[in-house]
Amino acid sequence: MKLSTVAWHAGVLAVLAIVLYPIVWVVAATFKPSADIIGSLSLLPSAPTTANYERAVEGIASISIGRFFWNSTILAVLSVVGTVASSALAGYAFARLRFRGRGAMFALMISTLLLPFHVLIIPQYAVFQRLGLIDTYVPLLIGKFLAAEAFFVFLMVQFMRTIPQELDESAKMDGAGHWGIFWHIILPLARPALITTAIFTFIWSWNDFFGPLVYLSTPDKYPLPLALQLFVDEASGSDFGALMAMSMLALVPVILFFLFFQRFLVEGVSTSGLKG
Amino acid sequence: MGVMKRFTTVLAAVSLVFAGAACGGDDEAESGPVTLRYSWWGNADRAALVQKAIDLFQTKNPNIKVTPSFQEFEAYWQKMATDTAGGNAPDVLQMDFAYLREYAERGVLYDLKKQEGENLNTGDLLEGLKGAGEVDGGLYAVPVAGNTWGYVYSPAAYSKAGVPEPKLGWTWNDYRAAMEKITKSTGGKMYGGGNYIGTYYNLEVQLRQEGKLLYTEDGKLGFDKPRLAKFFNEGKQLADAKIVLPVEKGVQIKPKFALEMDLIAGDLGWDNFMTRYAAATKTELKLGPVPSDNPAQLGQYLKPSMLMSVSAKSKHPEESAKLIDFFINDPGAGEILGANRGIPATNGQRAAVKLEGPFAAVAAYEESIKTQLEKAPPAPPKGAGTIEQAFIRISEELQYGRISVDQAVDQFFTEANETLES
Amino acid sequence: MATVAPTRRAEAPGQPAGPRTRVRRSGDGVAGYLFLSPWILGILLLTIGPMLTSLYLSFTDYSLFTAPEWVGLDNYKRMFEDARWLKSVQVTTIYVAVAVPVKLAAALAVALLLNNKRKGQGFYRAAFYGPSLIGASVSLAIVWKALFTDDAVVDRALRVVGIHTGGWAGNPDFSLLMLVLLGAWQLGAPMVIFLAGLKQVPVELHEAAHVDGAGRWRRFRSITLPMISPVVFFNLLLETINSFQVFTSAYIVGGPNGSPAGTTLFYTIYLYDRGFSDFRMGYASAMAWMLLLGVGLITLFLFRTARGWVYYSGDKR
Repeated sequence: MKLSTVAWHAGVLAVLAIVLYPIVWVVAATFKPSADIIGSLSLLPSAPTTANYERAVEGIASISIGRFFWNSTILAVLSVVGTVASSALAGYAFARLRFRGRGAMFALMISTLLLPFHVLIIPQYAVFQRLGLIDTYVPLLIGKFLAAEAFFVFLMVQFMRTIPQELDESAKMDGAGHWGIFWHIILPLARPALITTAIFTFIWSWNDFFGPLVYLSTPDKYPLPLALQLFVDEASGSDFGALMAMSMLALVPVILFFLFFQRFLVEGVSTSGLKG
Repeated sequence: MGVMKRFTTVLAAVSLVFAGAACGGDDEAESGPVTLRYSWWGNADRAALVQKAIDLFQTKNPNIKVTPSFQEFEAYWQKMATDTAGGNAPDVLQMDFAYLREYAERGVLYDLKKQEGENLNTGDLLEGLKGAGEVDGGLYAVPVAGNTWGYVYSPAAYSKAGVPEPKLGWTWNDYRAAMEKITKSTGGKMYGGGNYIGTYYNLEVQLRQEGKLLYTEDGKLGFDKPRLAKFFNEGKQLADAKIVLPVEKGVQIKPKFALEMDLIAGDLGWDNFMTRYAAATKTELKLGPVPSDNPAQLGQYLKPSMLMSVSAKSKHPEESAKLIDFFINDPGAGEILGANRGIPATNGQRAAVKLEGPFAAVAAYEESIKTQLEKAPPAPPKGAGTIEQAFIRISEELQYGRISVDQAVDQFFTEANETLES
Repeated sequence: MATVAPTRRAEAPGQPAGPRTRVRRSGDGVAGYLFLSPWILGILLLTIGPMLTSLYLSFTDYSLFTAPEWVGLDNYKRMFEDARWLKSVQVTTIYVAVAVPVKLAAALAVALLLNNKRKGQGFYRAAFYGPSLIGASVSLAIVWKALFTDDAVVDRALRVVGIHTGGWAGNPDFSLLMLVLLGAWQLGAPMVIFLAGLKQVPVELHEAAHVDGAGRWRRFRSITLPMISPVVFFNLLLETINSFQVFTSAYIVGGPNGSPAGTTLFYTIYLYDRGFSDFRMGYASAMAWMLLLGVGLITLFLFRTARGWVYYSGDKR
């Protein structure tokens, strides 16, 4: 190994040690007795126990922990599919096509980012209530299929605008239509943006608390964040041990998802034989 | 202009949707089993017990099906606000004393007087809790459990410092002196207590001991600025003399309490929190009386710690009332739920429940001051929750020394009056 | 349209509008709306309605359970006399001004560090992303406070270098800094976006510059930074908007009162408190639109300045 490589690894690991310390702390804490978690100064548990994990996997009111994982997975996967597809379409239109009202619509899209969701939730709820869709997954998912998350549309726009215009034009010479350009040229080149969108959507959906809280009533349908909160109780005392153990278990699928998809981020434009 | 016209059309459409939402809900078929939606707050342990109780209810009432929905306390109220505003409130809902008037006065709740004596029997409620769910003559909630103010302390800490354990008749001066002695004897390793001005209900207890109320019958503040200044000054002196737990220590350990971490020798609070503290610390804890400068008046009452209400929009008020009746009166339900929701609100269920450990201590404590417990005051005015939060916040700023006592008093009165007037 | 166009062109002779581009425009039109159709449907069904409703509510007294009552501009006027509102504006502005540069600098630094083809890349990337995977639950609040209490790891580390601050978690002077660090710790999102942007910088450019003798810093300034400027802009804009709306992390650490001593009373926390705890949705809506106005102006300003420093290779410059 070259010296520079060794130095690089050493440098990265040093920074990582600081960044990961809090996570190590959480993992260590899940093996402490629940009462010792807050206020203990030592990192490692003095008497390690797996009791927290045992309580975490017990499930809640005869709903198994697997059920919560399953619900979260369904929501996250459908969110990814919907968001990636709809945002890519909208992003292409905003980034590459010229049509009347584009500027105004773009401004409108950005403005939807500016309003805190807490004031939108009641009017939105009223709409879904009228449609009889409360306590279903529809309110949580429909926005993803309709590119309602402006963040991702904007992300696509920013990426697609960096793709050289000459490519479109030469494809057009060869007789390709808009769909052809979108499908064969833009999408492959925008892969980092697609993967980024997929990763974020998965994580945000997985961790979303407010949406499911508002729209779901039946405990059977709860995703993990709602179940997690049930270890908190002011009057009889919160079970911080089980809470943290369950947060760690809930992390596993997200980590796997991230590890799997982040590999595709590696290959960028430079490897696809593109000349700028 | 075209744009303006389009804008108003959209707005009209939106407000239609919005107004319509309030009267939504599909009509269910008349025959067949009735389904009740029942929402409550609590944790995983309670979820298991409530489900068991619901199963029992359903075997006793085969025509009624109950679908529960539960969240943690804060999340519960957030969801309840949204559901109610969207016209989708559950049939039966758990209610908190602080929110009762808010919901009742806005016409969200069903008047259970119409079901009393038929599907709902409230006759067996403890004397102090009778009428606790009433607002302006209507019965909008029924208590399922009650608690009262108390003093939880560690006898060991008291004896180590050579301070006699608190007993009926001790005064606020005695309390402050005891805290000072304990703090000094440990050299600040353990404090005599938390700063009691951080809790709104300590002010209420002091007021009631003087024959006053926190809120007057017509929903105004029951105290004036000098009275609040006196209260805040007591705490300011305790903080300056470093007799009580410094505020930053208390903030650091949140969401835990100082008693659970053996940082203080005792603290005033709701008596049912004894069970929480006892579960968290190895130190032996006891429940003692609240200090009072007026031996004839402890200032205490039995507060409904949890109530049940029926939504005004419910299509099944009879069945809903039956469910509430089951939860407060049925001995089987009492046995299943035990003291999970607090010490039960009816004599029948108190007898049916076998209490152990800290739960027994709480029950014994309530029994010991039974004759001194007064009837609960009327449900606090709308905005009481907001006012309590303001109090906690302002008191915290005072303890941090960021504002003076006079500023704290002024700030509190401004905010409280603004809230009560609107 | 077609008859008007020539006169317009005559009025603006500087516009290079040849017939070829005109044909292309109308051709793009239909396709544009087709590609946008899901978005248009979404914005009509899900967004416009609720946005207009909240705008309407901002002019009313609306207590959630009873019908809204029109009060004109009262809510907006009241804000400027509301000490807590002013406080929340102050807290939020300070936070944005500090947190956004800190987080973006950290994210870009890590992205640059990881942007090479060495072994272990994927692992490191995942590891740096790790903190951002943790959802904002009570667990997060517990860890973060645990690091910053008396005698805990941060306090001890600072003492080694001779700084005595005590615990930060209960200290009003440090609570905001604690949240800035929490934001920077969860740098995963901007880091990944920076990385994705860096991947699109053609290696050939760097190699050519290297051959010409350009140093590391020089290459970063004149190649990397301009090439990823759209991504920098994206991150800057989004982090600014998000920081103005910071809610969950602040809520779990500071609670609805912005503890300790109101130093973490962020705008959206106060808004939420007013709307859902005090049942004053009218006032909360007015607050939301005030925020939209404020952040909107900042956004507009950023878009304006962007013309000077953001380069798109699609542009013909």
